[in-house]
Amino acid sequence: MEMRKKITIILLLSGLILALLPLSANRSFLIKPEKLLSDVLNSDVALTVDQVAKLIVNEDSTIRLIDLRSPEEFSSLSIPGSVNVPYSDLISSDLYIFMNDRNIRNIFYSNTAFYSNYALVYARGLGYKNSFVMEGGLSEWFNTVMESKFTGERISARENALYETRTKAAQLFTQFNSMPDSLKAVFMAANKFSAKKLDGGCE
Amino acid sequence: MGPLSSYLLFPEWLDLLIAFMIGTGFGFALEQAGFSSSRKLAGMFYGYDTTVLKVFFTAAIVALIGSQFLNYFGLLNLNQVYVNEFYTGAAIIGGVIMGAGFIMGGFCPGTGLCALSIGKIDAFVFAAGGLTGAFLFAETYPAIQDLANSNYKGAVKINESLGMSPGLFTLLLVVAAALMFWVAEIAEKRFARPEITNEL
Repeated sequence: MEMRKKITIILLLSGLILALLPLSANRSFLIKPEKLLSDVLNSDVALTVDQVAKLIVNEDSTIRLIDLRSPEEFSSLSIPGSVNVPYSDLISSDLYIFMNDRNIRNIFYSNTAFYSNYALVYARGLGYKNSFVMEGGLSEWFNTVMESKFTGERISARENALYETRTKAAQLFTQFNSMPDSLKAVFMAANKFSAKKLDGGCE
Repeated sequence: MGPLSSYLLFPEWLDLLIAFMIGTGFGFALEQAGFSSSRKLAGMFYGYDTTVLKVFFTAAIVALIGSQFLNYFGLLNLNQVYVNEFYTGAAIIGGVIMGAGFIMGGFCPGTGLCALSIGKIDAFVFAAGGLTGAFLFAETYPAIQDLANSNYKGAVKINESLGMSPGLFTLLLVVAAALMFWVAEIAEKRFARPEITNEL
């Protein structure tokens, strides 16, 4: 057989194999740089820790907290209801797996604002408008929610509500993280799929 | 894990050095394939010599298959590979202008520089024309800015816009290439110009 026919057959067979392989459909950045910048700098995409605390206390089922830290850090300490997707995994896998449900707001957080902001730009750039960040990350969470103290003589109703939310969120956080590891794992596994189940919206 | 440049954070000079070496190799391969002759490239238009189609398309499908396999085995992250941005309006108008220049000059930008490096006079004229075009584009950019940026589609890939898996698209492209090569060979026989091809 002629050489070029052999090469053609090899190329065709390789193409056939590729067509049968489960390749991830790598998505491309589809947003104009200026649009992406204005999107991620918009204050709507950054939720304050108080907003997140309120969502957790209300057991809001339309959000999913995505913890970008390592599995070790995640298992030792995490916000109740969050799912662990380490940053390196997030950027090397198909985001569709984590973010396909457009009705769920995905909120990224890590120790500081660093990785969560990267993840936000990445996800928004790929067209996932359901991505948000928790401003300041876990360190801000500790400063504001966990160490929330009331000082002064009088408290306004507004301050009181905020204080209550913070205290409840802090309680949940402490309860959740002081659970034994085995129990925690069960809780996390159940939580991973709860978003899907609650999709019907019969609350 | 590739692309090496973004994972190992190469310094700029190393990136440029690698680009220079790849470019030199590319130029050498073009010259070896006889692409520094404008008659060979014009042959594509008149049908007597379709080497250009065969060489470039083979290179494209080999690279496509190779990168898909490397991606599958986790050696290359295709998410990190740069994809050119697509402006529909600019692509059509630019394509027509470039195509016209291509057939008039008998070179594409790459082969033009190849021919320039072996001292062809027509390639000097071609390169001067290309630079003049670039200069005019830059000078008139404010006026044509809206047109140049119209219908922005982002860094979209064909398989994405068709909603097809990259593997299936690769297979279809390989089949299309094989069919095109077959048609090209028929054309070469029908429009044969032995007085030209014998000299090339």
